Amino acid sequence: MGDRLSQALAPRASWLMAAARLNAVDVVLWALRLLVVGVVVAGTIGTVVKARYDAAQWVDFVVFGLTIGAIYAQIALGYTMVYGVLRLINFAHGDFVMSGAFAGYFVAQPLDRSGFLQNNPVLGMGAILVVSVLTSTSIALLTERIAYRPFRRVAGLAPLICAIGVSFFLEQTFRGMFGSAVKSYPSPAWERASFDVFGFHLPRVDVLVIVLAVLFMAGLYLIVQRTRMGTAMRAVAEDGEAAALMGIDVNKVVVFTFLLGGAMAGIAGVFYAFVYKQVYFFMGFTPGIKAFGAAVLGGIGNIPGAMLGGFFLGMVESVGPALFLDGLGIPAPYQLRDLIAFTLLIMVLIFRPQGLLGERMARKRA
Amino acid sequence: MGANRKLSGAMKLWAVAALFAVMHTATAATVGPVTDDLGVVRIAKGAPIQIGGYWVLSGADTSLGLDGKRGAEIAFADIGNKLLGHPIKFTVEDDLCNAEGGQTAATKLASNPQIVVVLGGACSSAATPAAPILWQQGITNICNACSAPALTAPDRKPSYDGFARTIASDIDQGASDAKYIYTVLKAHTLATVHDGSPYAQQLVAVTEKNFTQLGGKVVSQEAVAPTDVDMHPVLTKIAAAKPDVLYMPVFVAAAAQLLRQSKEISGLEHTALVGGGSLAAAEFIEAAGPAVVGFHIGYPDVSPDTMGKGYPEFLEKYKKAYGEAPISGYHANAYDAAEMAIKAIEKVGKTDKDGNLYIGRKALRDAVFAEKFAGLSGPIACDKYGQCAAFKPAVYEFVSADPKTFTMGKNPKKIWP
Repeated sequence: MGDRLSQALAPRASWLMAAARLNAVDVVLWALRLLVVGVVVAGTIGTVVKARYDAAQWVDFVVFGLTIGAIYAQIALGYTMVYGVLRLINFAHGDFVMSGAFAGYFVAQPLDRSGFLQNNPVLGMGAILVVSVLTSTSIALLTERIAYRPFRRVAGLAPLICAIGVSFFLEQTFRGMFGSAVKSYPSPAWERASFDVFGFHLPRVDVLVIVLAVLFMAGLYLIVQRTRMGTAMRAVAEDGEAAALMGIDVNKVVVFTFLLGGAMAGIAGVFYAFVYKQVYFFMGFTPGIKAFGAAVLGGIGNIPGAMLGGFFLGMVESVGPALFLDGLGIPAPYQLRDLIAFTLLIMVLIFRPQGLLGERMARKRA
Repeated sequence: MGANRKLSGAMKLWAVAALFAVMHTATAATVGPVTDDLGVVRIAKGAPIQIGGYWVLSGADTSLGLDGKRGAEIAFADIGNKLLGHPIKFTVEDDLCNAEGGQTAATKLASNPQIVVVLGGACSSAATPAAPILWQQGITNICNACSAPALTAPDRKPSYDGFARTIASDIDQGASDAKYIYTVLKAHTLATVHDGSPYAQQLVAVTEKNFTQLGGKVVSQEAVAPTDVDMHPVLTKIAAAKPDVLYMPVFVAAAAQLLRQSKEISGLEHTALVGGGSLAAAEFIEAAGPAVVGFHIGYPDVSPDTMGKGYPEFLEKYKKAYGEAPISGYHANAYDAAEMAIKAIEKVGKTDKDGNLYIGRKALRDAVFAEKFAGLSGPIACDKYGQCAAFKPAVYEFVSADPKTFTMGKNPKKIWP
């Protein structure tokens, strides 16, 4: 009888104990979570009830979100790989993207003027991608060798400050060389066409970017998971010293990591410029910061996590204002899209501090 | 005891801070032969008369600022870069076309006690924080391109008393744009986009008000950040409202993105896009590419045939000095702003027997506000709130995607009235 009573009271007692342990910060955090969930639910219901958008427009929101998400994901991969291997937040990565986009621009412009890009889209895009990837990879490798390697064993914030310095250096170098004006990226007719799927018009360039980005990311994932160098990368990410003792050339692994990151940055730069049609010296900063957020959201150091984080951020930016805020009657909701995206990012991190897919590394380093 | 000591220490700090503030705020003074409520600038014999300027000189909107700076430089060159026997030293800061840049530029200029008057800038976003900082030191600011209504509104704060401008107010521009959209484009529904800047936000509000008074309906009011790149979602939202016209007087980078991406949004095929004077720049053509052709902007009439009689000669000087035709539409207004400064200094400057020059700051401000002359951009005469230019309505259409063809009146071509 006494056992039964104590069993019956046990859950209640544990709740009471948990409640007693709550402090003011916990209460505020829970209130914040409930508020955000309340805004999301109420806004969504309001938007659905208003029925302002038709199905085609919702499909457009999703496609646009996936497009920018695919680009964020590709950029996030560079952050996450370098962090995994070196524990360095490479703030210059967004500028590797910018350098690739600029290099691609100088190929795309004459190809477009001559009509080659219009008549030979595959060859034209291939040439642009090759030049862009070569440029951003070269800059990434030079940055690693000249700026980051001397800081490899330096503790503290010096490597981070160095990364920020490299970012400024690259931006101002491109500004000095090519001016501060915004340059218009070519937009051939085949890129402006759309696919018809179940009656919905899907912009061809968006579909192309999403599909190619997923393919490139899948390729990168296979390289990291299935090749000897990828295995070495993962070993260095787990424990660099142990990996070196096992005969792995850490320098080679780091160079390979920057090579992969630079290549992804080059590809992202071309896609970014093709979709958003502008290049200028500061263009890498904002997507770089957002991609870093995506990498943290997915679980920094985790490759599938970076991809997932990128798509999540892109979708929230694109769909979030219309879905969550329009229904609440908030005017001009798209000026708040960064607020929504980063609020949700913070909420996810409050619930899962290690990010959506956690950080796959040795416990002692976590 | 300890608490008292702490209190006393805090009071001393406050006293020092107050003293510092007083010392760094313009105060009445008599220097040489001049007494002035706001202080006197003494320029030693042979020393330069220092004139400040702030414009956007980097980034996507450079043309707007650089064009103004060049206009002022030509005005100084026209008097041989000498005034009352002193050389002119023109110190220009980059305001980045935003509030932080304007604040920094104005603080740097205001920290130089020899700066007599300041010209610029190109953006209301920069002038809004800059003008009060300058006026706190008694420095008059003559702007050539910041058109936000609040800057010369009757209810403006006393901290803007030293601000005057040689460009028309957007009170008139907004009314003109609304009239064009409603009566010429026959639009009955309007969507608007601003970027949070004082210029865009205030112009959009004025246009919306006038459009509604004419009988139109505003069906969507949106905002973007000047650095936003992906405009597809906001344009999709606008498309859901099916507006006849999308009015978007934002700056170069965001406007180019809106213009190009609008072509990819289903539902906007029949929506006309109209921008503002912030896009009267060669750089906008470069940023927008082929999408710019057919795009309309509302802007005061600055086509060569409506300008002052010295304008053709000015154009030749501009081309000779900079190797290209004007890159925006604000050069003549800047020339007039510089002319106002020159005339006012000539009027109030007093030279002593040793050749030193004295300029009273309040007297200079009053002289600027009292000027009346036929300027390069049109008649100049200030009201008591510093509005010195009259408005001449016009709408332009871009006819070529080649940035080298930029000439106000030709590309963009004046299409109305």
